[in-house]
Amino acid sequence: MLIPAALAYRNGVRIIWEHRQVLRMLVLRDLQKQYTKFRLGYLWTLLEPLGMALVLWFVFTQLLGGQKLGLQPYFLFIAVGILPWWWFSRGVSRAARTFRRNPALLRMSVLPTKIWVIRVVLVAMAEYLLSLPVVLIAMLATRTLPGPLIVLFPVAIIVQFFLMYGLAMLIAAGAAVIPDLARIVRIVLRATFYLSPVLYSIANIPAGAQVIAAINPLVGILGLYRIGFWPTEIDSLPHYGISLGVTVAVFISGLVVFHRLEGRILKES
Amino acid sequence: MARQRLDPDLESMLLFTDVGINILKGRRRQGGGRRHRLRRFVGEQSRTGSWVLRGVSTQIAAGESVAVLGLKNSGRTEFLRLAAGTLIPDEGVVRRRAQVLPMIDLGRAFGRGFTVRQNIYLLGGLLGLTPDKVESALPEIVETARLAPNIDKYLRGASALTRQKLAWAIAMAVNAPVVAADEMLVVGDVEFRKRCLAHVERLRAAGTTFLVSTDVPRKFEGFFDRAIVLHNGGVVADGALADGLALLRELRLANTVAGTEKDDIR
Repeated sequence: MLIPAALAYRNGVRIIWEHRQVLRMLVLRDLQKQYTKFRLGYLWTLLEPLGMALVLWFVFTQLLGGQKLGLQPYFLFIAVGILPWWWFSRGVSRAARTFRRNPALLRMSVLPTKIWVIRVVLVAMAEYLLSLPVVLIAMLATRTLPGPLIVLFPVAIIVQFFLMYGLAMLIAAGAAVIPDLARIVRIVLRATFYLSPVLYSIANIPAGAQVIAAINPLVGILGLYRIGFWPTEIDSLPHYGISLGVTVAVFISGLVVFHRLEGRILKES
Repeated sequence: MARQRLDPDLESMLLFTDVGINILKGRRRQGGGRRHRLRRFVGEQSRTGSWVLRGVSTQIAAGESVAVLGLKNSGRTEFLRLAAGTLIPDEGVVRRRAQVLPMIDLGRAFGRGFTVRQNIYLLGGLLGLTPDKVESALPEIVETARLAPNIDKYLRGASALTRQKLAWAIAMAVNAPVVAADEMLVVGDVEFRKRCLAHVERLRAAGTTFLVSTDVPRKFEGFFDRAIVLHNGGVVADGALADGLALLRELRLANTVAGTEKDDIR
């Protein structure tokens, strides 16, 4: 199990490196297409999560102010959580469409099949990175400064990248073979939003359920994003360990599954 | 070309050894059977598929121009895709000595929201050209496709003919030692076709190997050294073009007489 994964991983790195020019072009084109489609262009990347965070902040502090949800300041808490969530949900739903969108590409291109998935992964990550100023805006709005543990923020980005890579391989390959998967993914995504500690902190749920909740790889990732701002999040470190383990498992199985289904993906085109 | 593992020591240009590919035909159009889909996902091999090609063994020497003939659905496109490595065989191996350029369905890869220039980089990249190689070939591509004044306009409004010409020009800029093409090899209006043919002839004289699937071999007057006829999932003839054409005529006739018109509906 580990040997094919290691092989596929090396293969993946080599593919990215060898085709970096084409990849860069594909990713830039995708971003450009998105940002030139609307009048406000890039601003939407900031406005959309900002608006979302504002709505959630309003609902959960002003309307339902009674309960203590998440950590204070809640607006910043939501902003830090919502961006990785969008990266996750967009990455996953686009991965499901990777091979459906343009099967002609597979038929005539000599590029490795993986390229199409890597492209989707990179575009989603680029969008996330471009939306990061939202965190700065939220920091300004709430006058909060992060502590020294903010160094874990980039670590979280790297971990999430590996999660997205594995997941995208898994879902793209699966959806190419079973079209129904694309619809299942949509439903599961909706549930995942509420099951992930985006609106709340893992510490908010009953202690007994925390271990089970931590199977969700987003728990560890969101935790790492937040530790810099809320050092108390470090209390849940063992749970982050569980979800990081799941991340590794997802990554490896993504590579293995994609490798095994590649022939069939090509046939479907 | 990570998808094309090359064998520099191979004696022939392309070597098919007992190649088989199992595809579920027209399944998506029929839609049916979620249960089948699940079973297929679980099972090692698809149980409801049919062997589009099976037990195909052949070799193609360097510099040969081979016509791949057959009725509709005889697996010609699959044959070409296997040669180019855009399909992975379920059985057997395809080995290649040099890079094979797939010229199949080229025009469809263009992005609608991109300019002509962007599309050239895109398709060039998909065919394995690095951006700097595209850059140096750009003037020639634009000149060939007669798109010079419109290079920074969107391709969206362009006619199918223009797209074909552009795709053709880009593919030719790749300068691959082996070309696996369908009708895409010669496209466009009468005048452009003549240019295509002349260019392709020059390449052949210079030693390029061609694998061409066509319904109208006459279009290529005197171009082919050899014809492979595919039927019922296998090679039924492999030899001179005239013999291949004669056999194809017979197959067509038999097909019409038997009334199996459904073969022609794809």
